[in-house]
Amino acid sequence: MSPERDTSFGAVVRMNLGAVLARARVRVVASWRETSWVIGETVFPFLTMAAFVLVYRGLKAPPMYEAFVVVGGAMIAYWNNVLWSMASQFFWEKEQGQLQLYLITPVSRMSILLGMALGGMAMTTSRAIAILAGGSLLFHVPIPSDRALPAFGLFLLTLAAVYALGMILSSLFLLWGREAWHTATLFQEPIYLASGFYFPVRELGPLAGGLAALLPITLGLDGIRQILYGEAAHGFVPLAWIPPIQVGLLILFLYLAHRALATMERLGKEEGRLTLRGA
Amino acid sequence: MKRTLEVIRASSWLGWQIEANWADPFLFVVYSIAKPLSTTLILFFMVRVIAQGQATAEAFLFLFIGNTFFLYVTEVLIGISWAVFRDREDFETLKYIYTAPIRLLPYLLGRAFTKVVTSTIGVAVALLFGRFVLGLPIGGDAFSWVRLAGAVALGLVSVAWLGVALAGASIIVARHSMNLNEGLAGAFYLLCGAVFPLEVLPAWTLPLSLALPFTYWLELIRRTLTGHAYAAPLSGQSDAMLWGILALSTVGLAAASMAWFAWCERKARADGLIDWKTNY
Repeated sequence: MSPERDTSFGAVVRMNLGAVLARARVRVVASWRETSWVIGETVFPFLTMAAFVLVYRGLKAPPMYEAFVVVGGAMIAYWNNVLWSMASQFFWEKEQGQLQLYLITPVSRMSILLGMALGGMAMTTSRAIAILAGGSLLFHVPIPSDRALPAFGLFLLTLAAVYALGMILSSLFLLWGREAWHTATLFQEPIYLASGFYFPVRELGPLAGGLAALLPITLGLDGIRQILYGEAAHGFVPLAWIPPIQVGLLILFLYLAHRALATMERLGKEEGRLTLRGA
Repeated sequence: MKRTLEVIRASSWLGWQIEANWADPFLFVVYSIAKPLSTTLILFFMVRVIAQGQATAEAFLFLFIGNTFFLYVTEVLIGISWAVFRDREDFETLKYIYTAPIRLLPYLLGRAFTKVVTSTIGVAVALLFGRFVLGLPIGGDAFSWVRLAGAVALGLVSVAWLGVALAGASIIVARHSMNLNEGLAGAFYLLCGAVFPLEVLPAWTLPLSLALPFTYWLELIRRTLTGHAYAAPLSGQSDAMLWGILALSTVGLAAASMAWFAWCERKARADGLIDWKTNY
C-alpha cells in the first residue's frame, strides 16, 4: 500500500521549490566540477571578445567602443547559456534517455526549467565577471562604477526576461532531434548581430533594430550601455521605456512558456517524440 | 592508395548525410551561410559605426577577407574532432571502424572533407555578398583566381592536418573537453589576426602569431585578392616567401600530426578508450 500523498497547496509549493533548488544545485555544482569547462567558458569566450576589442583598436576607434564589446561579451555568455543549457537542455536529456525521468515526476516542468535558469544564471555570472574583469584590466576599458547599481538592476530584469525566453525555446526544442542542435547554432551569430553585442544596435536602422528589440537581450544591452555611457552609447530605445517593456516581455514569455510546454509535451506524447527512436 | 581514396569518399558521404540530411536543401543552405554572413555584417556595422573616424573601406576589405576565410579553420578544426566524439559516444560507431578493414585516419580525413565542402558554401556566399551587396572590390584576373585557389587548397591541407592532431587528442579525452578544441579555434582567430592587423596585438604574442601557418595563409589570400600587403610584421616577406613558409609548415604539421595521431590511437586502444562513454 502506498503512503497517502499530501496534495495540499503548501505541500505542492514545497515540492516544487525543492525541485527548483535541486535542479539549480546540479547546474552550479557541475559548473565547477570540470576544470576544462571553467577554462572553456571563461578564457575562450574572452579570446573571441578580445578579438573584437582589437578590431576597434585596429580601426583606431575611441575606447568607448571597446567597452561596448566587453559589456556585450559578458552578455553573450548569458545568451549562450540560454541557448545551450536552457533551450537545448531537454534535447540533451532526450539524447541521454533522461527526459522521461522528468516527465514521470509529480513536479511542474516550469519548476525544473526555473531551477535550470537560476543555476544557469549563477554559473554564467562567474564567467561574465571574468570577461568584464579581464576586459577592464587587460584592455583598460572604461566601466563607470558610479552607475553600476542602476545598470545591475536593469541587468537582473533583462536576465529574467531572457531566461523566460529560454523556457519557451526549451519547449520548442523538446520535439526536435538534430534540428535542435542546428537551430541553437543558428541562434548564435545571427543573434550576436541582431542584438548588437559588438556595436550599438541603432546602427541596424529603425526597422531591423525595432525587430531586434523584441529580444529582451537586445533591449537590455541597449539600456545597460545607455546607463553606463549616456549619449555616447548611441542608444536605440529611450531608456525610460526599457524597464516596463522588459517587465511586459517577462510576463508574456512566462505565460507563453507555460502554454508551449504543455502543448509540446502533449504533442510529443501523441507523436512519440519524447524518446529517441531506434534505428 | 585506391583503398584509402575509397574510404575517404565513403566517409565524406557519411559526413554529408550527418551534416545535411536533417533539413531540406534550402534550409541547410540558410544554415550554412548564416554564420559567415552574420559575422561579416557584424564587422560591417563595427566599421560603419566609426566611419566618421579613420576607418576606411579598405580596412573593412581586409577584415572581411580574413574573417571569411577563417571560417574554414573554425569549421574544419572543430568539425573533425567533434566527429570523434559523436561517433564514439552518440552514435557509438567508432568501435566499428576498428572492426572494419579500414583505418581511422582516412576516415577522419573524409569527414574533414565534408566540412571543407560545407564551409565552402558559406565562404562562397560571403564572398558574393561582399562583392555584389557590399560592393567590395574583390577580384582580379584569371591568374589571381588560380593563385587564390592554390593558396586556399594549401591552407586547407594545413587546417586538415591540424584537425587530425585535435582529433587524436579527442580520442583520448572525455567528451566534455570539447570546448578546449573550440577554444583553440578562438585562440587562432585572435592570434593570426583574422580581423585586425597583427601590430595591434601585444608584442609578446607576435612570435606565437608568426608560428601559426594561418597567419601566412590569410596574408597570402589578402594579397592575392587585393594586391596589397596587410600585416606590417609580414611586410618584408615576398609572396614567394609566404608560399614557401606555408608549404613548409604544412609539411611539418602533417608529419607531426601523423605521429601524434598514431600515438593517441595506440594509447586509446591500450587504455580501452575507443568505446568510452563520457556524456552525462
